[in-house]
Amino acid sequence: MPERIGDILTLLMGALAVGYVVYEIERRRRKLHDIWDVLDEEDAFLTKMLEDMVDSGELQPYAGATLA
Amino acid sequence: MMPKSASGARSTRRPPARANSPSAPIVSPMTNVAVKPSEEPAPPQKTGVSEPSTQTGQAPSQETDEPSGVARFHIFIVDSGWNSAAHRVLVENFALLRNLQKDDPIYVLSPEQSIAFQRRHASRIGRDPIIAVHDMEALDRDGTSGFHGFRLSLGVLRTPQQALQGLQAFARFLVAHRRSTDLEADIRADLRREGLMGAIEIIMNHNTREMGE
Repeated sequence: MPERIGDILTLLMGALAVGYVVYEIERRRRKLHDIWDVLDEEDAFLTKMLEDMVDSGELQPYAGATLA
Repeated sequence: MMPKSASGARSTRRPPARANSPSAPIVSPMTNVAVKPSEEPAPPQKTGVSEPSTQTGQAPSQETDEPSGVARFHIFIVDSGWNSAAHRVLVENFALLRNLQKDDPIYVLSPEQSIAFQRRHASRIGRDPIIAVHDMEALDRDGTSGFHGFRLSLGVLRTPQQALQGLQAFARFLVAHRRSTDLEADIRADLRREGLMGAIEIIMNHNTREMGE
């Protein structure tokens, strides 16, 4: 009986360790994608708005040496 | 959620994309490199739109050491001015970033423009400074229907060191992939590589590359 309990505990701890690693990887993956994101059709409106601002002259290449 | 718009709605004034450019080697965007301190600050520019330069997507030629060709990227900085570590890092290192990206124009939205931008897209609030990069080659080829660039939400990074690493990774990626023929694949490959490296670190119980907490 104690041997069986020991096996169960080992399995349980192993499952918890694997679960933690999977959780941590997924958390970091989400974080990374939160920081870096590709622009696709969902961003079409924003992209067009910014490019229109460039085309209209509302935005021009920044000429300053530093940023305020 | 942002509204979707018709694809390919772009100005015809933009220069044509370059074709058949060789692919640059892939470099991980998260690897550290040393960066020297930024130059001394200068008086702020009110709106960031002072250069009477061309609107055809060409980088300002008087700022470059060598003749610049057609800009591959349009770089936009949206920063409403939160008193954050990321904001300070961006301000302190902008001169260096600009020198590294002198082949591509950088458009800096004024605080007023950035705030107006974020009022229309509330999900972006608190994530700025945001650096959006439009891949003009992809835009000219496919419009906005598919991949056409990427953005770095620098404001998500909470400490100065994390923000600096993010900014360095951004500059490194742009320089390394400027001639890439498939920027999307390069980005996804790098993100996959970072995910794999993160998994290895978790298993090895190292946290040195942890970002964003």
